[in-house]
Amino acid sequence: MAKLLEVEDVVAGYGRGPDILTGTTLSVEAGHVQCIIGPNGAGKSTLMKAIAGLLPLRSGAIRFNGERIDGMRPDQILRKGICFVPQERALFGKMTVRENLRMGGFILDDPRALGQRIDAVLEAFPILGERATQRAGTLSGGQQQMLAMARTLIVEPEIVMLDEPSLGLAPQIVEQMYDIVHMLREKGMTVLLVEQNAAVGLANADRGSVLDLGKTLFEGPASEILSDPRIQELYLGKPSQVA
Amino acid sequence: MADIVQVIILGLALGGVYALMASGLTLVFGVMRIVNLAHPIMIIAGAFVSYWLFTLYGLDPIVSMPIAAIVMFCVGIIVYKLIFEREAASAKYSEMTVLLTFAVAMCFDGLLGTAFSNTQRITSPFYATDAIFLGDVFIPTGQLYAGIASLTVIAALVAFLQFTRFGYAIRATTQNRDAAQLMGVNVGLVSIITFGIGVGLAGAAGALVSFVFSFFPAKHWEWIAILMSLVVLGGMGKLAGAIIGALILATLAAFVSTYIGTTWSTMTFFLALFVILLVRPQGLFGDPLEES
Repeated sequence: MAKLLEVEDVVAGYGRGPDILTGTTLSVEAGHVQCIIGPNGAGKSTLMKAIAGLLPLRSGAIRFNGERIDGMRPDQILRKGICFVPQERALFGKMTVRENLRMGGFILDDPRALGQRIDAVLEAFPILGERATQRAGTLSGGQQQMLAMARTLIVEPEIVMLDEPSLGLAPQIVEQMYDIVHMLREKGMTVLLVEQNAAVGLANADRGSVLDLGKTLFEGPASEILSDPRIQELYLGKPSQVA
Repeated sequence: MADIVQVIILGLALGGVYALMASGLTLVFGVMRIVNLAHPIMIIAGAFVSYWLFTLYGLDPIVSMPIAAIVMFCVGIIVYKLIFEREAASAKYSEMTVLLTFAVAMCFDGLLGTAFSNTQRITSPFYATDAIFLGDVFIPTGQLYAGIASLTVIAALVAFLQFTRFGYAIRATTQNRDAAQLMGVNVGLVSIITFGIGVGLAGAAGALVSFVFSFFPAKHWEWIAILMSLVVLGGMGKLAGAIIGALILATLAAFVSTYIGTTWSTMTFFLALFVILLVRPQGLFGDPLEES
Protein backbone atom coordinates (compact mmCIF):
# COMPACT_ATOMS: atom_id res chain seq x y z
CA MET A 1 0.00 0.00 0.00
CA ALA A 2 1.33 3.46 -0.96
CA LYS A 3 2.46 5.76 1.83
CA LEU A 4 0.27 8.83 1.82
CA LEU A 5 1.86 10.68 4.71
CA GLU A 6 5.34 10.21 6.13
CA VAL A 7 6.74 11.85 9.23
CA GLU A 8 10.52 11.47 9.45
CA ASP A 9 12.50 12.09 12.66
CA VAL A 10 10.50 15.17 13.53
CA VAL A 11 11.63 17.33 16.43
CA ALA A 12 9.27 20.13 17.50
CA GLY A 13 8.17 22.12 20.55
CA TYR A 14 6.39 25.30 21.56
CA GLY A 15 8.18 28.65 21.61
CA ARG A 16 11.54 28.33 23.34
CA GLY A 17 10.33 25.40 25.43
CA PRO A 18 11.71 21.84 25.40
CA ASP A 19 11.20 19.41 22.53
CA ILE A 20 7.81 17.70 22.69
CA LEU A 21 8.39 15.61 19.60
CA THR A 22 11.85 14.09 19.97
CA GLY A 23 12.36 12.31 16.66
CA THR A 24 8.87 11.14 15.80
CA THR A 25 8.40 8.84 12.85
CA LEU A 26 5.04 7.91 11.39
CA SER A 27 3.69 6.55 8.15
CA VAL A 28 0.09 6.56 7.06
CA GLU A 29 -1.24 4.42 4.24
CA ALA A 30 -3.97 5.62 1.90
CA GLY A 31 -7.52 4.47 2.62
CA HIS A 32 -6.91 3.43 6.21
CA VAL A 33 -8.12 4.64 9.58
CA GLN A 34 -5.01 5.01 11.73
CA CYS A 35 -5.16 5.72 15.44
CA ILE A 36 -2.35 7.26 17.48
CA ILE A 37 -2.42 6.33 21.16
CA GLY A 38 -0.17 7.21 24.06
CA PRO A 39 -0.19 8.68 27.55
CA ASN A 40 -0.80 12.34 28.34
CA GLY A 41 2.12 14.47 27.20
CA ALA A 42 3.28 11.90 24.64
CA GLY A 43 3.05 14.52 21.90
CA LYS A 44 0.01 13.18 20.02
CA SER A 45 -1.75 16.53 19.57
CA THR A 46 1.58 18.28 18.99
CA LEU A 47 2.29 15.86 16.15
CA MET A 48 -1.03 16.71 14.50
CA LYS A 49 -0.38 20.44 14.85
CA ALA A 50 3.05 19.97 13.29
CA ILE A 51 1.58 18.07 10.34
CA ALA A 52 -1.14 20.72 9.90
CA GLY A 53 1.47 23.50 9.81
CA LEU A 54 0.41 25.15 13.07
CA LEU A 55 3.76 24.34 14.69
CA PRO A 56 7.12 24.78 12.95
CA LEU A 57 9.57 21.86 13.01
CA ARG A 58 12.97 22.17 14.65
CA SER A 59 14.25 19.34 12.48
CA GLY A 60 12.98 16.40 10.45
CA ALA A 61 10.63 16.26 7.50
CA ILE A 62 6.99 15.66 6.70
CA ARG A 63 6.04 14.37 3.25
CA PHE A 64 2.59 14.12 1.73
CA ASN A 65 2.28 12.16 -1.51
CA GLY A 66 6.08 12.34 -1.63
CA GLU A 67 6.19 16.14 -1.45
CA ARG A 68 7.67 17.94 1.56
CA ILE A 69 5.00 19.97 3.30
CA ASP A 70 6.89 21.05 6.44
CA GLY A 71 7.41 24.81 6.32
CA MET A 72 4.14 25.36 4.47
CA ARG A 73 1.37 27.46 5.99
CA PRO A 74 -1.78 25.70 7.30
CA ASP A 75 -3.87 27.03 4.41
CA GLN A 76 -1.34 25.69 1.89
CA ILE A 77 -1.35 22.29 3.61
CA LEU A 78 -5.16 22.18 3.46
CA ARG A 79 -5.01 22.91 -0.25
CA LYS A 80 -2.63 19.94 -0.64
CA GLY A 81 -5.38 17.73 0.84
CA ILE A 82 -4.83 17.51 4.61
CA CYS A 83 -7.70 18.65 6.81
CA PHE A 84 -7.24 18.94 10.58
CA VAL A 85 -10.01 18.99 13.20
CA PRO A 86 -8.35 19.99 16.48
CA GLN A 87 -9.54 19.10 19.99
CA GLU A 88 -11.28 22.44 20.38
CA ARG A 89 -13.07 21.73 17.05
CA ALA A 90 -12.10 24.98 15.31
CA LEU A 91 -15.67 26.17 14.94
CA PHE A 92 -16.71 29.78 14.59
CA GLY A 93 -19.10 30.11 17.52
CA LYS A 94 -20.79 33.28 16.32
CA MET A 95 -21.37 32.00 12.81
CA THR A 96 -24.35 29.83 11.98
CA VAL A 97 -24.06 26.14 11.14
CA ARG A 98 -24.43 26.96 7.45
CA GLU A 99 -21.79 29.70 7.64
CA ASN A 100 -19.42 27.29 9.37
CA LEU A 101 -19.93 24.83 6.53
CA ARG A 102 -19.29 27.65 4.08
CA MET A 103 -16.01 28.38 5.87
CA GLY A 104 -15.23 24.67 5.58
CA GLY A 105 -15.30 25.13 1.81
CA PHE A 106 -13.38 28.39 1.82
CA ILE A 107 -10.77 27.02 -0.57
CA LEU A 108 -13.37 26.04 -3.17
CA ASP A 109 -13.59 28.56 -6.00
CA ASP A 110 -16.99 27.58 -7.42
CA PRO A 111 -19.78 29.08 -5.25
CA ARG A 112 -22.46 26.91 -6.89
CA ALA A 113 -20.55 23.70 -6.17
CA LEU A 114 -19.95 24.91 -2.62
CA GLY A 115 -23.68 25.54 -2.12
CA GLN A 116 -24.50 22.04 -3.41
CA ARG A 117 -21.98 20.43 -1.08
CA ILE A 118 -23.32 22.36 1.89
CA ASP A 119 -26.86 21.21 1.05
CA ALA A 120 -25.63 17.62 0.71
CA VAL A 121 -23.98 17.73 4.14
CA LEU A 122 -27.08 19.26 5.75
CA GLU A 123 -29.12 16.48 4.18
CA ALA A 124 -26.72 13.76 5.35
CA PHE A 125 -26.79 15.16 8.90
CA PRO A 126 -30.42 16.04 9.63
CA ILE A 127 -29.57 17.35 13.12
CA LEU A 128 -27.35 19.96 11.48
CA GLY A 129 -29.96 20.58 8.78
CA GLU A 130 -32.53 21.46 11.44
CA ARG A 131 -30.06 23.87 13.01
CA ALA A 132 -28.64 25.40 9.83
CA THR A 133 -29.42 28.93 10.94
CA GLN A 134 -28.42 28.40 14.58
CA ARG A 135 -25.13 29.78 15.87
CA ALA A 136 -22.51 27.05 16.22
CA GLY A 137 -21.60 28.23 19.73
CA THR A 138 -25.08 27.33 20.96
CA LEU A 139 -24.94 23.69 19.81
CA SER A 140 -24.34 20.84 22.25
CA GLY A 141 -20.85 19.32 22.47
CA GLY A 142 -21.86 16.33 20.35
CA GLN A 143 -23.49 18.50 17.71
CA GLN A 144 -20.42 20.75 17.59
CA GLN A 145 -18.17 17.71 17.07
CA MET A 146 -20.54 16.44 14.39
CA LEU A 147 -20.39 19.83 12.64
CA ALA A 148 -16.59 19.93 12.85
CA MET A 149 -16.33 16.46 11.31
CA ALA A 150 -19.10 16.96 8.76
CA ARG A 151 -17.37 20.17 7.65
CA THR A 152 -14.45 18.11 6.35
CA LEU A 153 -16.83 16.55 3.81
CA ILE A 154 -17.18 19.91 2.08
CA VAL A 155 -13.60 19.89 0.76
CA GLU A 156 -13.24 16.09 0.63
CA PRO A 157 -9.54 16.10 1.49
CA GLU A 158 -7.30 13.07 0.99
CA ILE A 159 -6.61 12.81 4.69
CA VAL A 160 -8.62 13.94 7.70
CA MET A 161 -6.83 14.33 11.04
CA LEU A 162 -9.04 14.19 14.11
CA ASP A 163 -7.66 15.14 17.50
CA GLU A 164 -9.63 13.45 20.30
CA PRO A 165 -12.99 13.29 18.52
CA SER A 166 -14.62 11.60 21.54
CA LEU A 167 -13.33 14.06 24.15
CA GLY A 168 -16.06 15.03 26.63
CA LEU A 169 -18.82 13.16 24.79
CA ALA A 170 -21.28 10.59 26.13
CA PRO A 171 -20.66 6.97 25.00
CA GLN A 172 -23.71 6.99 22.71
CA ILE A 173 -22.49 10.14 20.99
CA VAL A 174 -18.99 8.65 20.68
CA GLU A 175 -20.50 5.82 18.65
CA GLN A 176 -22.09 8.36 16.30
CA MET A 177 -18.71 10.08 15.89
CA TYR A 178 -17.08 6.83 14.88
CA ASP A 179 -19.92 6.21 12.42
CA ILE A 180 -18.83 9.47 10.80
CA VAL A 181 -15.19 8.28 10.83
CA HIS A 182 -16.24 5.18 8.91
CA MET A 183 -18.33 7.31 6.57
CA LEU A 184 -15.25 9.40 5.79
CA ARG A 185 -13.29 6.25 4.97
CA GLU A 186 -16.09 4.90 2.78
CA LYS A 187 -15.93 8.14 0.82
CA GLY A 188 -12.29 7.37 0.09
CA MET A 189 -10.65 9.54 2.71
CA THR A 190 -7.83 8.43 4.95
CA VAL A 191 -8.37 9.15 8.63
CA LEU A 192 -5.60 9.78 11.15
CA LEU A 193 -6.93 10.17 14.65
CA VAL A 194 -5.58 10.75 18.10
CA GLU A 195 -7.55 9.11 20.86
CA GLN A 196 -7.11 9.24 24.62
CA ASN A 197 -9.56 6.36 24.91
CA ALA A 198 -7.13 3.97 23.25
CA ALA A 199 -9.39 0.90 23.30
CA VAL A 200 -12.20 2.73 21.47
CA GLY A 201 -9.82 4.35 18.99
CA LEU A 202 -8.01 1.14 18.10
CA ALA A 203 -11.26 -0.84 17.88
CA ASN A 204 -12.35 1.53 15.12
CA ALA A 205 -9.00 1.69 13.32
CA ASP A 206 -7.13 -0.45 10.78
CA ARG A 207 -3.71 0.58 11.99
CA GLY A 208 -2.31 2.03 15.17
CA SER A 209 0.75 3.90 16.37
CA VAL A 210 1.98 4.09 19.94
CA LEU A 211 3.63 7.37 20.88
CA ASP A 212 5.47 8.03 24.12
CA LEU A 213 7.75 10.91 25.13
CA GLY A 214 7.62 12.26 21.59
CA LYS A 215 8.81 9.05 19.93
CA THR A 216 6.94 6.36 18.03
CA LEU A 217 7.36 3.08 19.94
CA PHE A 218 5.30 0.85 17.71
CA GLU A 219 3.35 0.98 14.49
CA GLY A 220 1.24 -1.80 13.03
CA PRO A 221 -2.22 -3.31 12.62
CA ALA A 222 -4.64 -2.05 15.27
CA SER A 223 -5.66 -5.62 16.17
CA GLU A 224 -2.03 -6.47 16.95
CA ILE A 225 -1.68 -3.48 19.26
CA LEU A 226 -4.95 -4.31 20.98
CA SER A 227 -3.78 -7.85 21.73
CA ASP A 228 -0.22 -6.98 22.80
CA PRO A 229 -0.04 -7.62 26.58
CA ARG A 230 2.61 -4.92 27.21
CA ILE A 231 0.56 -2.29 25.41
CA GLN A 232 -2.58 -3.51 27.15
CA GLU A 233 -0.88 -2.98 30.49
CA LEU A 234 0.80 0.33 29.69
CA TYR A 235 -1.78 2.12 27.56
CA LEU A 236 -5.09 0.30 27.75
CA GLY A 237 -5.32 0.11 31.53
CA LYS A 238 -5.54 -3.69 31.67
CA PRO A 239 -3.53 -5.64 34.27
CA SER A 240 -0.62 -7.76 33.10
CA GLN A 241 -1.44 -11.44 32.50
CA VAL A 242 2.07 -12.43 33.58
CA ALA A 243 2.22 -13.66 37.18
CA MET B 1 -39.61 69.38 22.98
CA ALA B 2 -38.28 70.89 19.75
CA ASP B 3 -35.02 71.62 21.57
CA ILE B 4 -34.62 68.00 22.55
CA VAL B 5 -35.36 66.79 19.00
CA GLN B 6 -32.87 69.36 17.72
CA VAL B 7 -30.15 68.08 20.06
CA ILE B 8 -30.85 64.46 19.15
CA ILE B 9 -30.64 65.23 15.43
CA LEU B 10 -27.34 67.08 15.84
CA GLY B 11 -25.99 64.27 18.02
CA LEU B 12 -26.98 61.53 15.59
CA ALA B 13 -25.56 63.35 12.56
CA LEU B 14 -22.24 63.81 14.34
CA GLY B 15 -22.47 60.27 15.71
CA GLY B 16 -22.59 58.96 12.15
CA VAL B 17 -19.22 60.59 11.45
CA TYR B 18 -17.78 59.31 14.74
CA ALA B 19 -19.01 55.82 13.82
CA LEU B 20 -16.97 55.87 10.62
CA MET B 21 -13.98 57.28 12.52
CA ALA B 22 -14.20 54.40 15.00
CA SER B 23 -15.08 51.58 12.57
CA GLY B 24 -11.54 51.14 11.22
CA LEU B 25 -10.12 51.18 14.75
CA THR B 26 -12.43 48.43 15.96
CA LEU B 27 -12.02 46.34 12.79
CA VAL B 28 -8.24 46.33 13.13
CA PHE B 29 -8.47 45.44 16.82
CA GLY B 30 -10.96 42.65 16.13
CA VAL B 31 -8.80 40.93 13.54
CA MET B 32 -5.28 41.64 14.78
CA ARG B 33 -5.61 42.71 18.42
CA ILE B 34 -3.82 45.94 17.49
CA VAL B 35 -4.92 48.93 19.54
CA ASN B 36 -4.07 51.39 16.80
CA LEU B 37 -3.24 54.63 18.58
CA ALA B 38 -2.16 55.98 15.19
CA HIS B 39 -5.72 55.72 13.86
CA PRO B 40 -6.67 59.36 14.63
CA ILE B 41 -3.57 60.75 12.92
CA MET B 42 -4.51 58.67 9.87
CA ILE B 43 -7.89 60.42 9.95
CA ILE B 44 -6.04 63.76 9.97
CA ALA B 45 -3.89 62.57 7.06
CA GLY B 46 -7.07 61.64 5.15
CA ALA B 47 -8.47 65.07 5.97
CA PHE B 48 -5.35 66.66 4.46
CA VAL B 49 -5.77 64.60 1.25
CA SER B 50 -9.32 65.95 0.82
CA TYR B 51 -8.33 69.44 1.94
CA TRP B 52 -5.64 69.73 -0.72
CA LEU B 53 -7.82 68.18 -3.43
CA PHE B 54 -10.49 70.77 -2.57
CA THR B 55 -8.03 73.66 -2.30
CA LEU B 56 -6.05 72.86 -5.45
CA TYR B 57 -8.71 71.34 -7.73
CA GLY B 58 -12.01 72.33 -6.11
CA LEU B 59 -12.91 68.66 -5.62
CA ASP B 60 -15.78 68.19 -3.20
CA PRO B 61 -14.67 66.32 -0.03
CA ILE B 62 -17.52 63.78 -0.34
CA VAL B 63 -16.45 63.12 -3.94
CA SER B 64 -12.79 62.88 -2.90
CA MET B 65 -13.64 60.48 -0.06
CA PRO B 66 -12.80 57.35 -2.13
CA ILE B 67 -9.48 58.93 -3.15
CA ALA B 68 -8.60 59.68 0.49
CA ALA B 69 -9.61 56.11 1.38
CA ILE B 70 -7.43 54.56 -1.34
CA VAL B 71 -4.42 56.76 -0.52
CA MET B 72 -4.70 55.89 3.17
CA PHE B 73 -5.29 52.19 2.35
CA CYS B 74 -1.91 52.20 0.59
CA VAL B 75 -0.32 54.05 3.54
CA GLY B 76 -1.78 51.40 5.85
CA ILE B 77 -0.34 48.54 3.79
CA ILE B 78 3.12 50.15 3.79
CA VAL B 79 3.02 50.85 7.56
CA TYR B 80 1.90 47.27 8.27
CA LYS B 81 4.61 45.73 6.06
CA LEU B 82 7.33 47.95 7.51
CA ILE B 83 6.39 47.83 11.18
CA PHE B 84 3.82 45.27 12.26
CA GLU B 85 4.35 42.24 10.04
CA ARG B 86 7.73 41.31 11.49
CA GLU B 87 6.31 41.46 15.04
CA ALA B 88 3.30 39.26 14.27
CA ALA B 89 4.96 36.14 15.68
CA SER B 90 5.89 37.83 18.96
CA ALA B 91 4.19 36.52 22.10
CA LYS B 92 3.85 40.11 23.32
CA TYR B 93 2.40 41.27 19.99
CA SER B 94 -0.69 43.01 21.34
CA GLU B 95 1.23 44.90 24.04
CA MET B 96 4.02 45.82 21.63
CA THR B 97 1.61 47.22 19.08
CA VAL B 98 0.39 49.81 21.60
CA LEU B 99 3.90 51.24 21.77
CA LEU B 100 4.50 50.81 18.05
CA THR B 101 1.28 52.56 17.05
CA PHE B 102 2.07 55.35 19.52
CA ALA B 103 5.43 55.77 17.80
CA VAL B 104 3.75 55.76 14.38
CA ALA B 105 1.34 58.45 15.62
CA MET B 106 4.28 60.58 16.80
CA CYS B 107 6.06 60.19 13.45
CA PHE B 108 3.02 61.10 11.36
CA ASP B 109 2.22 63.98 13.72
CA GLY B 110 5.75 65.31 13.18
CA LEU B 111 5.66 64.74 9.42
CA LEU B 112 2.29 66.41 8.91
CA GLY B 113 3.18 69.23 11.32
CA THR B 114 6.42 69.90 9.45
CA ALA B 115 4.81 69.70 6.03
CA PHE B 116 1.63 71.68 6.71
CA SER B 117 2.19 73.40 10.12
CA ASN B 118 -0.22 73.17 13.03
CA THR B 119 -2.59 75.88 11.88
CA GLN B 120 -6.30 75.11 11.90
CA ARG B 121 -7.77 74.21 8.51
CA ILE B 122 -11.20 73.37 7.17
CA THR B 123 -12.60 72.71 3.72
CA SER B 124 -15.64 74.77 2.91
CA PRO B 125 -17.88 73.22 0.27
CA PHE B 126 -21.09 75.17 -0.38
CA TYR B 127 -23.23 72.98 1.89
CA ALA B 128 -20.87 73.16 4.89
CA THR B 129 -22.50 76.28 6.32
CA ASP B 130 -26.04 75.68 5.06
CA ALA B 131 -28.99 74.15 6.93
CA ILE B 132 -32.34 72.53 6.25
CA PHE B 133 -35.27 73.78 8.34
CA LEU B 134 -38.10 71.45 9.37
CA GLY B 135 -40.43 73.65 11.41
CA ASP B 136 -38.53 74.68 14.50
CA VAL B 137 -35.81 72.15 13.93
CA PHE B 138 -32.79 72.76 11.72
CA ILE B 139 -30.33 70.25 10.34
CA PRO B 140 -26.89 71.54 9.31
CA THR B 141 -26.41 70.15 5.80
CA GLY B 142 -22.69 69.61 6.30
CA GLN B 143 -23.27 67.29 9.26
CA LEU B 144 -26.27 65.70 7.56
CA TYR B 145 -24.36 64.88 4.37
CA ALA B 146 -21.37 63.71 6.39
CA GLY B 147 -23.62 61.47 8.51
CA ILE B 148 -25.31 59.99 5.42
CA ALA B 149 -21.97 59.46 3.63
CA SER B 150 -20.55 57.88 6.75
CA LEU B 151 -23.44 55.46 7.25
CA THR B 152 -23.30 54.57 3.53
CA VAL B 153 -19.64 53.61 3.85
CA ILE B 154 -20.39 51.60 7.00
CA ALA B 155 -23.29 49.81 5.25
CA ALA B 156 -20.92 48.94 2.39
CA LEU B 157 -18.37 47.66 4.92
CA VAL B 158 -20.98 45.51 6.67
CA ALA B 159 -22.16 44.09 3.32
CA PHE B 160 -18.54 43.37 2.38
CA LEU B 161 -17.93 41.55 5.68
CA GLN B 162 -21.22 39.68 5.55
CA PHE B 163 -21.48 38.54 1.95
CA THR B 164 -18.07 38.39 0.28
CA ARG B 165 -15.53 35.60 0.47
CA PHE B 166 -12.86 37.91 1.84
CA GLY B 167 -15.40 39.26 4.33
CA TYR B 168 -15.97 35.73 5.58
CA ALA B 169 -12.21 35.33 5.93
CA ILE B 170 -12.00 38.53 8.00
CA ARG B 171 -14.89 37.50 10.25
CA ALA B 172 -13.45 34.02 10.68
CA THR B 173 -10.01 35.41 11.56
CA THR B 174 -11.64 37.77 14.07
CA GLN B 175 -13.39 34.88 15.83
CA ASN B 176 -10.71 32.21 15.74
CA ARG B 177 -7.38 32.83 14.05
CA ASP B 178 -6.12 29.23 14.19
CA ALA B 179 -9.42 27.82 12.98
CA ALA B 180 -9.44 30.28 10.08
CA GLN B 181 -5.99 29.04 9.05
CA LEU B 182 -7.22 25.46 9.18
CA MET B 183 -10.11 26.38 6.86
CA GLY B 184 -7.61 27.63 4.28
CA VAL B 185 -7.55 31.32 5.13
CA ASN B 186 -4.18 33.01 4.64
CA VAL B 187 -4.38 34.98 7.88
CA GLY B 188 -1.20 36.89 7.09
CA LEU B 189 -2.82 38.29 3.94
CA VAL B 190 -6.07 38.93 5.81
CA SER B 191 -4.13 40.90 8.44
CA ILE B 192 -2.37 43.10 5.88
CA ILE B 193 -5.53 43.83 3.91
CA THR B 194 -7.61 44.41 7.05
CA PHE B 195 -5.06 46.86 8.40
CA GLY B 196 -5.17 48.61 5.01
CA ILE B 197 -8.98 48.69 5.13
CA GLY B 198 -8.88 50.05 8.69
CA VAL B 199 -6.56 52.88 7.70
CA GLY B 200 -8.55 53.36 4.49
CA LEU B 201 -11.67 53.87 6.61
CA ALA B 202 -9.71 56.44 8.61
CA GLY B 203 -8.94 58.19 5.30
CA ALA B 204 -12.63 58.15 4.31
CA ALA B 205 -13.57 59.54 7.73
CA GLY B 206 -10.87 62.17 7.31
CA ALA B 207 -12.52 63.44 4.12
CA LEU B 208 -15.73 64.06 6.09
CA VAL B 209 -13.88 65.46 9.09
CA SER B 210 -12.24 68.01 6.80
CA PHE B 211 -15.50 69.98 6.51
CA VAL B 212 -17.27 69.00 9.77
CA PHE B 213 -14.44 70.01 12.13
CA SER B 214 -11.48 72.29 11.84
CA PHE B 215 -8.36 70.16 12.01
CA PHE B 216 -4.59 70.34 12.46
CA PRO B 217 -2.04 67.54 12.97
CA ALA B 218 -1.88 67.68 16.80
CA LYS B 219 -5.68 67.38 17.00
CA HIS B 220 -5.37 63.57 16.88
CA TRP B 221 -4.31 63.47 20.56
CA GLU B 222 -7.76 64.71 21.53
CA TRP B 223 -9.45 62.13 19.29
CA ILE B 224 -7.63 59.13 20.69
CA ALA B 225 -9.65 59.21 23.92
CA ILE B 226 -12.88 60.01 22.09
CA LEU B 227 -12.48 57.11 19.67
CA MET B 228 -11.35 54.75 22.42
CA SER B 229 -14.46 55.57 24.45
CA LEU B 230 -16.72 54.79 21.45
CA VAL B 231 -14.98 51.50 20.78
CA VAL B 232 -14.81 50.47 24.44
CA LEU B 233 -18.51 51.29 24.96
CA GLY B 234 -19.48 49.06 22.04
CA GLY B 235 -17.00 46.32 22.92
CA MET B 236 -13.48 46.20 21.50
CA GLY B 237 -13.50 44.66 18.05
CA LYS B 238 -17.29 44.82 17.62
CA LEU B 239 -18.24 46.86 14.57
CA ALA B 240 -21.94 47.12 15.45
CA GLY B 241 -20.93 48.08 18.98
CA ALA B 242 -18.69 50.90 17.75
CA ILE B 243 -21.51 52.30 15.58
CA ILE B 244 -24.07 52.19 18.39
CA GLY B 245 -21.49 53.50 20.88
CA ALA B 246 -20.76 56.43 18.55
CA LEU B 247 -24.43 57.31 18.14
CA ILE B 248 -25.10 57.09 21.90
CA LEU B 249 -22.07 59.07 23.04
CA ALA B 250 -22.34 61.73 20.33
CA THR B 251 -25.99 62.31 21.30
CA LEU B 252 -25.05 62.47 25.00
CA ALA B 253 -22.25 64.91 24.18
CA ALA B 254 -24.73 67.05 22.23
CA PHE B 255 -27.00 67.20 25.30
CA VAL B 256 -24.08 68.10 27.55
CA SER B 257 -22.96 70.76 25.08
CA THR B 258 -26.46 72.29 24.92
CA TYR B 259 -27.53 72.14 28.55
CA ILE B 260 -24.25 72.29 30.49
CA GLY B 261 -21.75 73.96 28.20
CA THR B 262 -19.66 73.34 25.08
CA THR B 263 -16.44 73.02 27.04
CA TRP B 264 -17.89 70.04 28.96
CA SER B 265 -18.95 68.21 25.81
CA THR B 266 -15.61 66.42 25.30
CA MET B 267 -15.65 65.42 28.96
CA THR B 268 -18.64 63.18 28.14
CA PHE B 269 -16.36 60.83 26.23
CA PHE B 270 -13.63 60.76 28.90
CA LEU B 271 -16.16 60.20 31.67
CA ALA B 272 -17.89 57.48 29.66
CA LEU B 273 -14.53 55.73 29.16
CA PHE B 274 -13.92 55.67 32.93
CA VAL B 275 -17.42 54.51 33.78
CA ILE B 276 -17.46 51.75 31.13
CA LEU B 277 -14.08 50.41 32.24
CA LEU B 278 -15.23 50.34 35.86
CA VAL B 279 -18.75 49.00 35.37
CA ARG B 280 -18.69 46.87 32.23
CA PRO B 281 -15.13 46.63 30.84
CA GLN B 282 -16.19 44.36 27.97
CA GLY B 283 -18.56 47.07 26.71
CA LEU B 284 -22.16 46.69 25.54
CA PHE B 285 -21.56 43.92 22.99
CA GLY B 286 -18.22 42.47 24.08
CA ASP B 287 -17.69 38.96 25.41
CA PRO B 288 -17.17 38.70 29.18
CA LEU B 289 -13.52 39.23 30.06
CA GLU B 290 -11.59 36.17 31.23
CA GLU B 291 -10.08 36.39 34.68
CA SER B 292 -6.37 35.84 34.63
